[in-house]
Order: sequence, then structure tokens, then C-alpha cells
Amino acid sequence: MMNKFWLFFLSIRWQDIVDILLNSYILFRLYVLFRGTNALRVFIGIAFLLFFQRIAFLIGLTLTSWAIQGITGVAALIIVVIFRNEIRSVFQTKNFKTVFWGTPQKTVSTPVEIIADSVYEMAQKHIGALIVFPGKEDLKELVQSGLPWQGLISKEMLTSIFWHDNPVHDGAIIIQDDRVTQVGVILPLSQQKNLPSSFGTRHRAAVGMAENSDALVIVVSEEKGNVVVAYGSKIIEVKQKKALERRIQKHIGVRISKKNDSGKERFSLGIAALVCVLFVTWVWFTITRGLDTMTSFEVPVEYMNRNPEMEIVDTSINKARLHLSGPDILIKSIRPEQVRVKLDMSNAVAGPNTFAFNAENITLPPGIVLKKIEPSVVDVTLDMIITKEVPIQVDWAGKLNKSLILTNIKLDANRIQLTGSRLALENISTLYTEKVFLDQIDKSGLITVKLLIDSSLKIAQGFQDTVTVTYTVKEREQKSVK
Amino acid sequence: MRYKSSTICCVVVFIIFCLFLPSQVLTKEDSGPSSAPAPEKLILGQAVMCERIEAFLPENMAIVFSVKVEKIFCFTSFDSVPEEIFISHKWFFKDKLVTKRKLTLKPPKWSTFSGIQLREADKGLWRVEITGPAGNVFKTLRFSVTD
Repeated sequence: MMNKFWLFFLSIRWQDIVDILLNSYILFRLYVLFRGTNALRVFIGIAFLLFFQRIAFLIGLTLTSWAIQGITGVAALIIVVIFRNEIRSVFQTKNFKTVFWGTPQKTVSTPVEIIADSVYEMAQKHIGALIVFPGKEDLKELVQSGLPWQGLISKEMLTSIFWHDNPVHDGAIIIQDDRVTQVGVILPLSQQKNLPSSFGTRHRAAVGMAENSDALVIVVSEEKGNVVVAYGSKIIEVKQKKALERRIQKHIGVRISKKNDSGKERFSLGIAALVCVLFVTWVWFTITRGLDTMTSFEVPVEYMNRNPEMEIVDTSINKARLHLSGPDILIKSIRPEQVRVKLDMSNAVAGPNTFAFNAENITLPPGIVLKKIEPSVVDVTLDMIITKEVPIQVDWAGKLNKSLILTNIKLDANRIQLTGSRLALENISTLYTEKVFLDQIDKSGLITVKLLIDSSLKIAQGFQDTVTVTYTVKEREQKSVK
Repeated sequence: MRYKSSTICCVVVFIIFCLFLPSQVLTKEDSGPSSAPAPEKLILGQAVMCERIEAFLPENMAIVFSVKVEKIFCFTSFDSVPEEIFISHKWFFKDKLVTKRKLTLKPPKWSTFSGIQLREADKGLWRVEITGPAGNVFKTLRFSVTD
């Protein structure tokens, strides 16, 4: 077991580590950019779907796995369409550096204290108010009839906007950074039927906005003079000014200078990073290592470290079949040069030798395991290399004209030295030429012909692979013609 | 005077004796080995392949024979045969010994031959080795049998 674990550990390549770290970082950055948005929640849902899909696949629920895979694919497409504005705003509002590094932070601080003061002053005076703090989502498609304002926030300005006689006092205002960007904004009304009866149109609009976006909406009740905050599906009455300030700060992403909160932020990001690494490692493992595949390769056997004075005369095999197992993705990526079968011949002797293959003879890429090799042994016959001098004989063929007789030949080299294994040369007593056809010969002449030399033999230095034959023909005496 | 002439004669005889005695001894030593009869060597004069033997002479000597000739011969003539001896004609077809003919040679010189009958299957490369009694090869004749 320990050995298997160790083998697995050794089989991890540096590319695998880079693979995991890179994807973990991409996932972590996506989390950092999208956290707090509805899109992230849906992304997490898709991640769970993916998780269940892998589980279903591993335990053999083929149809379920297939169905979840289909749903996940379609869901991913739908998400891109539905959350296009949110996704766009995430990438538009951040600069290039923010996408890859750091945590999104408001650069311009919203005067939270002024806003909170104004809200509670209006509540005290029973001045109704509806204030929207956009989150990361784009609100353009949700709101209507807003008037551009771009006024710097002050207590007086906020109170005057919601003053009874102001023409835009019934609408909502939108606050971004330190400015009121729009006034007289009409928000979508909530369709919920279980809202408290005390909630009027202003509350219903706040809830509707919160339901449909990631915005934080503050409602000051004209009748009751209380302050209600709507965020997501939550509607909370906030009685303390400090509590309201904290809620606004949390929403707009202003870092609170408290040491504990900063540590908490770092801790949550650390946890998120760890989860990302674990998740990607798991995905990597299920994809690359989850399912072992078997395959077989036919690999040429390399005979290494042979005594240079000896030659391989015969081998029982030239290729060995390797049965390999490993992750499908690694098996598919094997290149022929990565799989080698090398046989060490340093201990081989002249004559027949038998070698058994072992792990040292096989070179495999990381992550691939040898299951079997066929055949398991190889017979190799070695022989000493010698030089032998043999006579040359011309191989005449065909038919000489009946009236002629080939009386004599002269070779420019009567003998030749051959180098090769002792066994190969032992049976050679004559070296023959290629066939020389007699049909064309009608008089004495000369011809150069090639010598027939076995591929296992070599011609010694100073000798040629051709021979020039000078032949003499003469007319046959009439009486001797048969 | 008589004394003188006899003395002179003795001295002359002595000088002659002294001059000739060692040379006679040396001559004996030198001529020792040459005086014994040198053993004659077996010398091959002629070795040829031919189509016919006429009057103990080869005819139509060649190195390529048509299979239609039907019979071919290896003729060997020894110029010097010191004693009655046996030689062999070894016929090889494609490096394989096909037949070995043992032939007698008689002094002082002798000619002999051996032959084979050709068949269609005999087309190819041939050689005849002429070997002495100790297996020493005097000569190898190489030839082909063709269409």
C-alpha cells in the first residue's frame, strides 16, 4: 500500500503541479472577482453538479453521469446569458491588474457616516426616503426614469431630495462612491404576497430591487419613521446608526480598519484558496488518474553495451510487446521515443545467451506502469568478428552461342577479404558474383560485375565490391559440336 | 747434390700433401649431402576442364559448359611422379561435395582424368579440387554449367 502510494507520488510530473496550481489560481481569482454576486452562487451550484457528475461516473452510473454532464453544459451557457451584465460589470469595473492580482476595493470612499446621519434625521422627521447602493451587478435594465444627478453627498442635499415638495422625492436615489448619481428612479416592485401589511409602495420597491439584484436598499418609512434595509431576500429593520453604517460599509466593500476584520478577511480568502486547490486537485485526479487504461506497444529491442569484438548473429526477437497501464490521458500522450526496451549485453559471451527482461530494461514515461512484457526472455547469439579471405567465382548464366567456347577468364582480383562473425564466415568458401549472362557474348571482352555479399558481412579495407572479368571466347572446332 | 734433390723431392711431396689433404676432406664434407639422391617432387603440369578426352589429351577446354554437353571432364597431367601415388578429384556443386574420385599416378609422369554426367539439375556453380594424398590442394578449377 505504502509502495503504491510512493509510486503514485513519484509518478507526478512537474507539469501536473503547474497544471493544478494554475487552475487553482484561476478559480481563486474568479471567486475573488465574483464573490458577493448571484453569479458566484450559481457557479458554486454548477461546481456541485460537476462533483456529482464525477461521482456518478466513478461508481458507474452512466446515464446519471451523462445527464448531469448535459445539464452542467447547458447551465453554463444559460448562466453566461443570464448574468451577462454582472459578468460584464465585474470585468469592466476592474482594471487589468485587479483581474489577476489583489482584492477589489473601493478607491473612493462613500461618506457612510453622512448618509447614516441623514437617514436617521429623515426618519426622525418622518421624511420618506429610498436609497439604492448598487452591488456588482449592472442595474440599468432594472430601473427606469432616473434623472442624472452626480451631486456630491451631503446631509442637506439628501434631505432636500426627499423633501415633500421636491418633484423627485417619491423616487429612489442611487449612490455610487461619493455621489448621488441618479434621482427619481423607479424601482421594480416585489411580487411577494407575504410582505407585512405595513409595507407601502416604497418598501415593496426596495424589496423588489433587492430580490432582482445584489443592491442594498435603505427605506425610511414616512409613516413609522423607521429604517429598513433590504438586501437579497432579507428585510431588516435597523435601529442603530452604527449598525446601519457597518451594513453599508460591508456592502460597498470598504475595508474596515479594525485589525480583527482584516484578519478575518485574510482567513476567508485563505480558506477560499485552499478550497480552490483541493477542488482543482480533485478534478485533476479524477480526470487524469481516476481511470486507468490498459494499452500495448510493440517496441524495438535495443541491444546495448555489446563487446565491440563480437557481433550479434541471431536474436529470438527484434521487438517486444509491452502491456502498459496508466491514466487514459497519459496513455494517449505517450510518444514512441518515450518507451524503450534496452538490453544490457555487457555480460554476454560468444555463443548463445538468454536474457530475462526486468524493470531496468524498460524506460517508460512517468505515471505509466508496466504490467507485462512479451516475451519475457530473449535469446541472443553472439560471435567473434573475424576476417577471412575467400576466392571469387563468376556466376555465369544463360546460353552461350553454340559455335563459341569460353576458354579462359581472368579476374582483376582473384580473392577478397571479408569481415564478419565467425559463424557466418565459417560456411563461406567462395564468394560469387552476380549472374553474368552469356547470351550477349559473341567475342572476347571484359565486364565489371558486383559481388554478392551477405548483409551480415563487410568487405575488408582495401577490397572492392566489384570485380572486372576479362574473358576469352573462341570459335568451336566443327568436329567438337555436339 | 743427391741429398739435396731427395730433400727437395720430399719437401715438394710434403707441400703437395699438405695442400691437397684438407681440400679433399672439405670436398667430401661438401659433397656429402649432394651425393645422396634428392627425392623427386610431385609436380602438377596441367589441370583443365574439358568436354572430351581424345588420345589422353583434353579437347574443348572451357570454363563454361552447356548442360547439353552431357559429360564433362577434369584432366590433370603430372610432369613428375616420384612413386606410385593416389590423388583425388573432388567435385563440388554450389560448395557441396558431390563426388570424390581417387586416381592413381605412376612414375615418372602420368596423366589422369575424371568425369561426371550432366543433368538439368546440375546447372550452376562448380569447382573441382585436385588434392594430393595428404589432402593438400594442388589446384582448384572453377567453372559453370549453364543452359
